[in-house]
Parts: sequence; structure tokens; C-alpha cells
Amino acid sequence: MTARVGPAIVVRDLTRRFGTFVAVDRVSFEVEQGEIFGYLGANGAGKSTTIRMLIGLLAPTSGQATVAGHDVATAPGRVKESIGYMSQKFSLYLDLPVEENLLFFGAAYGLEGTALRARAAELLERVGLDAQHEATTGDLPGGQRQRLALACALLHRPGLVFLDEPTAGVDPVARRAFWDLIRELARGGTTVFVTTHYLDEAEYCRRIGLMVDGKLVALDTPAGLKRTWVPDRVLVARGRGLAEAGPRLGGAPGVRAVAPFGAGLHLRVDPERFDAARVAAALREAGAEAVEVEEAAPTLEDVFLAVVDRDAGGAP
Amino acid sequence: MSAESEKFWSTARRQLAAVFRKEVRQTIRDKRVMVLLIVAPLVQTVIFGFAVDFDVDRVPTVLVDQDRSDQSRLHARRLLADQTLRFAGQVGGIPEAEQDLDDGKAAAALIFTPGLASDLASQRPAEVQVLLDGSDPNRAMVASGAVSRYFGEVGERLIRERLEAAGRPAPAQVVLVPRVLYNPRLKSAPYIVPGIAGTLLVIVTTLVTAMGLAREREMGTMEQVMVTPIRPLWLLIGKLLPFLVIGIFDVLLLVAVGSWLFEVPLRGSLLVGAVGVLLYLFSTLGVGLLISTLSQNQQQAFLGGFIFMMPAILLSGVMTPIRGMPGWLQAITWLNPVRHFAEVMRGVLLRGAGFTDLWFQLACLAALGVGVMALAVARFRTQLG
Ligand SMILES: Nc1ncnc2c1ncn2[C@@H]1O[C@H](COP(=O)(O)OP(=O)(O)OP(=O)(O)O)[C@@H](O)[C@H]1O
Ligand SMILES: [Mg+2]
Repeated sequence: MTARVGPAIVVRDLTRRFGTFVAVDRVSFEVEQGEIFGYLGANGAGKSTTIRMLIGLLAPTSGQATVAGHDVATAPGRVKESIGYMSQKFSLYLDLPVEENLLFFGAAYGLEGTALRARAAELLERVGLDAQHEATTGDLPGGQRQRLALACALLHRPGLVFLDEPTAGVDPVARRAFWDLIRELARGGTTVFVTTHYLDEAEYCRRIGLMVDGKLVALDTPAGLKRTWVPDRVLVARGRGLAEAGPRLGGAPGVRAVAPFGAGLHLRVDPERFDAARVAAALREAGAEAVEVEEAAPTLEDVFLAVVDRDAGGAP
Repeated sequence: MSAESEKFWSTARRQLAAVFRKEVRQTIRDKRVMVLLIVAPLVQTVIFGFAVDFDVDRVPTVLVDQDRSDQSRLHARRLLADQTLRFAGQVGGIPEAEQDLDDGKAAAALIFTPGLASDLASQRPAEVQVLLDGSDPNRAMVASGAVSRYFGEVGERLIRERLEAAGRPAPAQVVLVPRVLYNPRLKSAPYIVPGIAGTLLVIVTTLVTAMGLAREREMGTMEQVMVTPIRPLWLLIGKLLPFLVIGIFDVLLLVAVGSWLFEVPLRGSLLVGAVGVLLYLFSTLGVGLLISTLSQNQQQAFLGGFIFMMPAILLSGVMTPIRGMPGWLQAITWLNPVRHFAEVMRGVLLRGAGFTDLWFQLACLAALGVGVMALAVARFRTQLG
């Protein structure tokens, strides 16, 4: 393959208002060639609105965006030729057979004849739907629909795909299968811009952007985010009498957070003052028995909560 | 440059063909739409052709013969032998006849009062009464017309006989000899079927187009299509073309059924008819597209289609004559493509009219079609752009 130049996406101060409501607020970021870029945020954070501006479905109120080397404002046609898009709401023709959807969208991208048929067959096999090619699309279960939608987005071999919540409402096994496809795609050199609600999925991303109320509040690798946003030591305690002992420990200096976690406790502590052994001792002192404490890696959920906490008033 | 334009056209052709093919596949797979497009127009034409019969004959008539003379029996027989009135029984008196009219058993009663024969014989003014059910004024008029025409002729004959018996020549009289052109038997069906074709095409093209595009918007498929490099214009043409074809097919079907079942003639040039059909479909498809650009979902599109269709059909002159409308309504009908199309079709089919007769209607259709389509396409493209 030829060497690619420049980032896949460059966004500068991208803003979109709906009336007085600011759905996306001066967002800036870059997405590198070949990476899986995760875009995270709660409902209404502005994820879909950002994507819609990047693919030319929605005009930005202000700001610039360059996608696959083309300015979204001046060359929307070039952008469309270079990208694939899977919308949040399933939007293929439910009344057509699986294969007809592929043939239609392939022709819309300018493919034709045997090349188109071969490409459709290849993708059906790749997403594991070759046995269903004659099925009516509307009869497919959720996971298969999403894989078909992905196949439709890949027909013209785009170097960059936008997947807007591709696994929403899909069962865990199907989610796992879908992410296998995404990672395979990225290994093949395709840049993937993906939004999700599921924090476990976000771990698969090389970098993550966190959206809160239209603003991009954090952007880093998963490990980097954890270092920055969860500097505390995260510990998990198990034993008897923790329900009573935990809250007693809650006010102690150096203990930042105590929360029930299954039958045990989840603690965030100042690493300068506490480690697993000291926390175990403190819990025993507070009345718990048979205490075992282990250090746990912070999750993206911890990051997300810390970010939202900060946004709600406190500082990190 | 030429390589570039070649690539442009080959991509355009592929995209157009893809949309056309997809639209056809979807239409064929949807049984309800197929019924709406082909079976419904057929059934409706047949039903309208038979049911919307403005010809009035066989008005059920009861007879009250209180004279009971040879004369009264003769006149009753002759009058009822004409197909206009149909003998529906004989009753004894006027109250019973009124009862039959009340019950709907008869729409007219013919009453010969006692002394009819002797009055006629003795040259006294004779009286025949007719009771009419006026709830259908058209039918009442026809029935009373038939009775007065018959007795008018009887009276004339009596005068002539008496003058001749007195040795005097009968006076010259005006004799009306009507000759009806184009639809000599004055049947309703040949008049109504071309108009019905026009109204059915509105359903097939306007409603189906508006709903089809609204469905794409509602289902999100429009958005998925819009992120492909397909051009809005090819998308549009590919989507409208199948319905143009179905519309043309429906016209041919209706004309064939009309001529086969209702003796609708085909006197004029097919070319003029084809031009009329194309211009008409252009405007009905344009209206459908326009409605779809104004609707967010299928429900709104359906409502919009109906809001257009109802007045378009009522003000087309197909069901009620335009000349009977108030002046301002008549003016509005100039903007109604259904009206012009019905006139073109009747002209071509019944009168054998050509371009010279129909240029005005065709020009109106062209102006309406181009105007509506341009507006709709402009709206469609800004919405997609
Ligand atoms: N066309 C529109 N008109 C008005 N408001 C809109 C429009 N589109 C989106 N919004 C609003 O903008 C905000 C951001 O919406 P967006 O769809 O981008 O959120 P999201 O992050 O994708 O959320 P979700 O996880 O629910 O998909 C929401 O409050 C939404 O109501
Ligand atoms: Mg969204």
C-alpha cells in the first residue's frame, strides 16, 4: 500500500446549534490513519450530531472539518466517496432481501456487474451472512442486521468508516462478534470512528474522546485516561461485616471513595497513604472479619464517573 | 474531458438503474402496493362505469286507473311500454299510490281520474295527474318529461284528427329532430370512464410517490442513500420513473377495459393522447414529490395526498359539471390538472380531437407539470443538499 499522508480526520472548533441549544460545542480533535477512535458520551451528548457533520448530512454552525483529506464544507462529494457510514438507527431496506440491499448500495457507490456481485458475496461471507443472502432483511435478528449494515458501509472499500452505536441493543455474544469484525477491519488499515455507550467496548479503542453536554472533555488512550482521571489506588475488599465497616472507613483521611461492590467493597484511596495491607488492617479495626483486599485496575467506568463528577462541580 | 464526462454518465446510468431496480423490486414485493397500482384502478373503473350511471330509465311507476275505460288502459300501456317508465303495479286510489311512493316501491304514480275517456271524447279539457318522488330531481324530471311528451303527442294527434274531420288543413308545426354527436346513445360510461382514469392516476402516482418518499425519510433509508455519492437528481428520476411506467400501463388498461365493457370509442390520435398522459403524469408525480417534501412521515404524506386529491377530483368536472359551479370555483379548476386531463381524454377518445382542438388543455397541463415539478425538485434538492 502507498504511504498515507495526514490524519484521517481533522476537526477544528466544530459547533452545531439547534436554535439556542448547543448540541456540539467547539470540538477539536484529530483521528490518525488506521486507528480505532472511540467517541463516548451519555445520551444527548452530541455524538451523532458530530458524526452527521463529518459525513455531510448536517451543516456545521461554525468550525471546520477535514475528512479523508477533503474539506466537508467544500467537497462533500469527495468525502462521501471516501467513507462508509452505519447510522445509529438501522436504515437499510427492510422489505428487500439481504443481497438486494448490498447490490443497491454498491451500485449507488458506482460498482457494477460481476465486480459488484463478487464484492457483495465477499462481504456477506466476511460478516457471516452468506447463508442468509436471500432472507428478507426485516426478518434478521438485531446482530445480523448490524453486520449487514457494516457490510453495506464497506462495499466501496472506504479507508474510513463511521459507526454510530453499532452494538446498541445487541446481545453480548453478537457484540463480541461485531467487535471482532471492527478490529479485523482496523488491522487491515481502515480507520474506524465508533461511538458507543458500552465502556467495556471502549477498551478496544486505541484512543477515546469523551463527550459531555456537547463538549469534548477528555481525549487519550484508555490507559492514559485512567492515569489522568483516576490517580487513586482502586481496591476491592471481600469479607464479613464489610457493610458496617465500610462506611466507618469512609471519612478517614486518604480514603476518597467507598462503594458497595457485589458482596464486597470498592475503595478509592490516596496511593501515598494506603495500600492493600493497610486498608485490610483498617477494615479489621472497623469490625470486619476474614478480610481480603486486592488491588484492581481502574476501569473506564471509573474514568467516566470521575469526568462527570468533575463536570458536576468538583475538580480532579 | 471526454473521459471525464464518459465516467460521469456511466456512473449516472448505474445509479439511476440501481434506484429504478430497487424501486421496482420493492413495489413488486409489496402485494398491497401492487393491488393499489393495478387491481384497484381496474375494479374501480368497472364499478364506476356501471354504478355511476347518469342515464335515467326504468323509473318504477304505479298506476291508478279510476277511469277503467279502453282509452285509459290503452294510454297506460303505451306510456309504460317506453323504457323510461317501468310498471310497478296498479293500486286502487291516490292514498295507496302515495303510500307506495313513501315506501320507495315507486318513484312516480300515474293517475287517471274518472271521466278521462268521456272528457277526451267530448272535447272537454282532460286531466292526467302524475305524483313524483322529488328526492332525486333528475329522475323526477325525466319521469314527468316522459309523461308530458307522451300526452303532448296524444293532444297533437287529437287536434289534427279533429281539424281534418272538420275539413280544415292541419297547421304547420315545428318538428324537433335531435341528432346527438360523439356519444349518440347518451350513455354515461363513455363520458365518465376517461375522467375516472384521470382520478385514478392521481391515486396511483401522487399518493404512491408521496408515501414512498416519506417512507424513506421515516425509515432512515433516505439518510443512508444520502451518504452515498449518488446525485439527488438521479435518485429522483430513478424513483419516479417506475410510477410513470405504471401510470402509462394503467391508462392503457383503463382505455382497453373502457372500450371492451362500456363501448368507449377511440376516435382520436394516440399521439395526442400519449402527450396528454405524459404531461398529466408529470404534474401528478410532481405534486406527489412536493407533498413528500412537506411531510415528515407516511401519515402526513397520506393526509397531504388526500387534501390534494379530494378537491382535485371534485373540481375536475368528472363527477359534476364545471359549468354548474360558482364563478370563483370555475376559475380554480383551471389550476387542476385532472380537469385538463379529463378534457383531453374525452376529446381524444370520444370526439377524435387533435392538437388543434386540445392545445389549450395540453398547454395548461405542460405549464402545471413543469411548474409543480420544478418547485418540488428544488425543494427536494435543497433538503438533500
Ligand atoms: N435535528 C435536531 N433538532 C433539534 N435538536 C436536535 C436535533 N438533532 C439532535 N438534537 C439534539 O442535540 C443533542 C445531541 O444529540 P445527538 O443525537 O448528537 O446525541 P448522541 O450523543 O448521539 O445521543 P444518543 O446516545 O442518544 O444517540 C440532543 O439533545 C438532541 O436532542
Ligand atoms: Mg446518537
